[in-house]
Amino acid sequence: MALLEAQNLSVHFGGLAAVKSVTFGIEPGERLALIGPNGAGKTTLFNLLTGQLKPSGGKVFFKGQDITNASVYARTHLGMARSFQITSLFAYQSVMVNAMIGLQGVEKSRYGFFQPLFKDRALKAAAQALLESTDSWDLRDEIVSSLAHGQQRKLEIALSLASHPDLLLLDEPSCGLTTFESADITRRIRDLGPKITVLMIAHDMDLVFGVAERVILLHYGQIACEGTCDEIRSNEMVREIYMGTRKQLGAGR
Amino acid sequence: MSQALVTGLNGLSYAFILFLLAAGFSLTFGVMGVLNLAHGALYMLGAYIGLQIVNTLDLFWLAIIVAAAALAIIGYALYAFFLKRLYGRVPEQGVLTIGVAIMIANIVLWIWGPRAKIMQTPDFLTGVITIGGLSFPIYRLFVCGVGLVVLGLLWYIQDRTRAGAIIRAGMDNKDMTVSLGINYGLVSTLVFLLGMALAGVAGVIGAPITGAYPTMGDNLLLLTLIVVVVGGTGYIQGTMLGALVIGLLDTFGKAYIPQVALFFAWIVFLAVLLIRPSGLIGRKVF
Amino acid sequence: MDEELSQIPGGPPIAVPSPQDPAARRVPRPLIETVLPIAVVAVIVLLLPLFIPSFVSSLVTKMMIFGLFGLSLNLIWGYANIPSFGHAAFFGVGAYTAAVIVTKAGFSNFWFSMLIAILATAAVAAILGVPAFRVFGVGAGAANPIYFLLATIAFGELLSRMAIVMRPVTGGSTGISGIPKPDLGLGAKVSADQYYYLVFAIGVICLFLMYRIVNSHYGYGLRGIHDNERRMQALGYNTWLYKYTSWIVAAVFGGVAGVLFAYFGSTLVPNNLSMVTSDISFLLVILGGTTVFFGPLVAAVFYVGVEYFASIYLPQRWPLIFGALFVIAIMMIPWTKGRYQGLGPEVLRLWKKVTGGAA
Repeated sequence: MALLEAQNLSVHFGGLAAVKSVTFGIEPGERLALIGPNGAGKTTLFNLLTGQLKPSGGKVFFKGQDITNASVYARTHLGMARSFQITSLFAYQSVMVNAMIGLQGVEKSRYGFFQPLFKDRALKAAAQALLESTDSWDLRDEIVSSLAHGQQRKLEIALSLASHPDLLLLDEPSCGLTTFESADITRRIRDLGPKITVLMIAHDMDLVFGVAERVILLHYGQIACEGTCDEIRSNEMVREIYMGTRKQLGAGR
Repeated sequence: MSQALVTGLNGLSYAFILFLLAAGFSLTFGVMGVLNLAHGALYMLGAYIGLQIVNTLDLFWLAIIVAAAALAIIGYALYAFFLKRLYGRVPEQGVLTIGVAIMIANIVLWIWGPRAKIMQTPDFLTGVITIGGLSFPIYRLFVCGVGLVVLGLLWYIQDRTRAGAIIRAGMDNKDMTVSLGINYGLVSTLVFLLGMALAGVAGVIGAPITGAYPTMGDNLLLLTLIVVVVGGTGYIQGTMLGALVIGLLDTFGKAYIPQVALFFAWIVFLAVLLIRPSGLIGRKVF
Repeated sequence: MDEELSQIPGGPPIAVPSPQDPAARRVPRPLIETVLPIAVVAVIVLLLPLFIPSFVSSLVTKMMIFGLFGLSLNLIWGYANIPSFGHAAFFGVGAYTAAVIVTKAGFSNFWFSMLIAILATAAVAAILGVPAFRVFGVGAGAANPIYFLLATIAFGELLSRMAIVMRPVTGGSTGISGIPKPDLGLGAKVSADQYYYLVFAIGVICLFLMYRIVNSHYGYGLRGIHDNERRMQALGYNTWLYKYTSWIVAAVFGGVAGVLFAYFGSTLVPNNLSMVTSDISFLLVILGGTTVFFGPLVAAVFYVGVEYFASIYLPQRWPLIFGALFVIAIMMIPWTKGRYQGLGPEVLRLWKKVTGGAA
């Protein structure tokens, strides 16, 4: 059974169809990349899948359940999580607080209103583990807004893992990162293991081909083509739409 | 029952006063997204300034012009010194303008004293027209006339001029409008000043009807808020419709059930806010 | 350069050493240094009435009551970024409920009136909160809460008009007067001078509860919503529930302040429900700052002091000064990192200077 299934998803803004009849599925453990030129509707599709946007038509199924009308937070509890293209952290809190708030989201303890947060040893230990896994433990007392962009992106992904998701939606994880940092992110995503399924929006082709097994190309809100990396790499239409006919995909910039 | 017609005229003229007052607020609120809670106090200031001129110089038209100009100047000062620096910060705009309103009310009290002032209608507009045994005050008809003219003017600007098109475009998508090279900032400022001037006009013309007393600012602000929410922002027709509903509701309410008159206006306000926040004829807000 | 304040708003005052410092680990100050300032203030407040004329202790009582009022609004405005121009609605409901219970319903027990007032305030908040948050919006809501603010204004005005209309119960526009001093039951009646201590005791309890709440898991949930509601939802938080419950909690504490106010002044008028009184609450929040827990309390001391002196030297011009306070507060108080840096942080800085700072 597919972990996530989108059936005929569409959404309109005024007269404009931002996403049109998108149908695809993703199997457990799979690594799927979503590519496409700017404005193709990739983030909009993500918003539909995570519930930030209600579709004008179509359905979304997760683990067999119809979640089309489920709220954003309910989907997180079901096992979906996402990261954002534009870093979306708690800018004026410390890294440690960010981690703790992030981890708490799916814990019952988040409604505790009397005991101090910082006395919760289990939560602190979990936060330490999370931060150490992304090499951010040393920064734990830093205020997020004072961190470098690369460090913020790492925290961005760490937060999306905080709810122990089965499906991780990454929106441009390497956005604004140096080549070195992107390679690091690529490695980390690859090392996530088979228990986590990854759907990733990316522009960086090294990242796409380094991680993905399958690729979907979105153009003007519709799926233009999909296939394995090799198929996409050699596809004429993809080259035309995405890179311009002269450049060859994956041949570096 | 025919007395209802006279009450109806009173309600209509009151509605036009509300319209003139609310139009200014609706423009700044809808166009600039600015929450100016000093609007009622400014109306009151306009009324008092007009009153002063009428009582000392007995020149009605001059009073209107001076009040409009004074309010435009004060409005500009408000914008330049304060509101410009609070761009996008709505709660702070509200708090600041509340403070300004309180200050204006106290200044008015200081200068003109606590007792309510009555402004006589100018001689050439005093008196009644008798139709079918009913007496309709000429001044009320005058107010309706002015209101209709302003309504027509604003409606025309909104629908048929370039400035109106710019404003409507800006309300839909400010960034796009600016990036098209249109000086939206200038247009917004002019709209703001226009709104202030209208409040001044409303103050002077409305004074013979609403009276002038130092605590009227609050009352009028609240009425403005109700009118704007009920009618909706973005379309001048909406503001007029809101003013009609509230003006008539309030006048008839006061005539027949005095104690609960304003109470109903608030109920309508809450109902609209919760069921249809965009108002009767307004741009979709949610 | 002065050391940075702890960046956790409302958290205990903690020195955060610079990143170069090898001991860059947040060390909670020994209990003695966080408890000390509180103990000092508490002792001062408790002993004060022995040294000052009773009109001054009356002023201090007012400071405590308004401090509680401001702190209750800070729960939602400062911590969850829910601004409200109608908080006096709850203050007034609490006050009027207690007053009606004691003067009209014939129950003279202070605690009973407090209990009913709390229930009434919670009920009103629960009812009004449902529609209010429908117009709040997410993301855009916090940044552009115009309609929510208008709704909060409407609540205060509506309740104030209801108070005018329900003459038999609320005394109409003249309000309720002659509220007796609290009867604590078992024959213990509180005199005007002793009321100070009752307010202090209840104030301390409320402050303690609020402090625990804002530093709890739930409280950090509110802080998260303040900074980034969208992310909170993505992390699994039902942000509506957080906002709604915090609205009710803030209302209840505001209602408690109202009860204390009713017994303090012995007179209530419909304006205690309307924006005229709500103005005071958000002035206190902004003036006091939202980075430190006790900010509004400091602002209340300042406010009551200024009001007192104005009433002596410039009684006619007090509204002018009052209005000017708003303008000054907005224009002069820095708004950084999403929070107001008001009098609260200033007092904290002073305290640290006085106690030699954190080495």
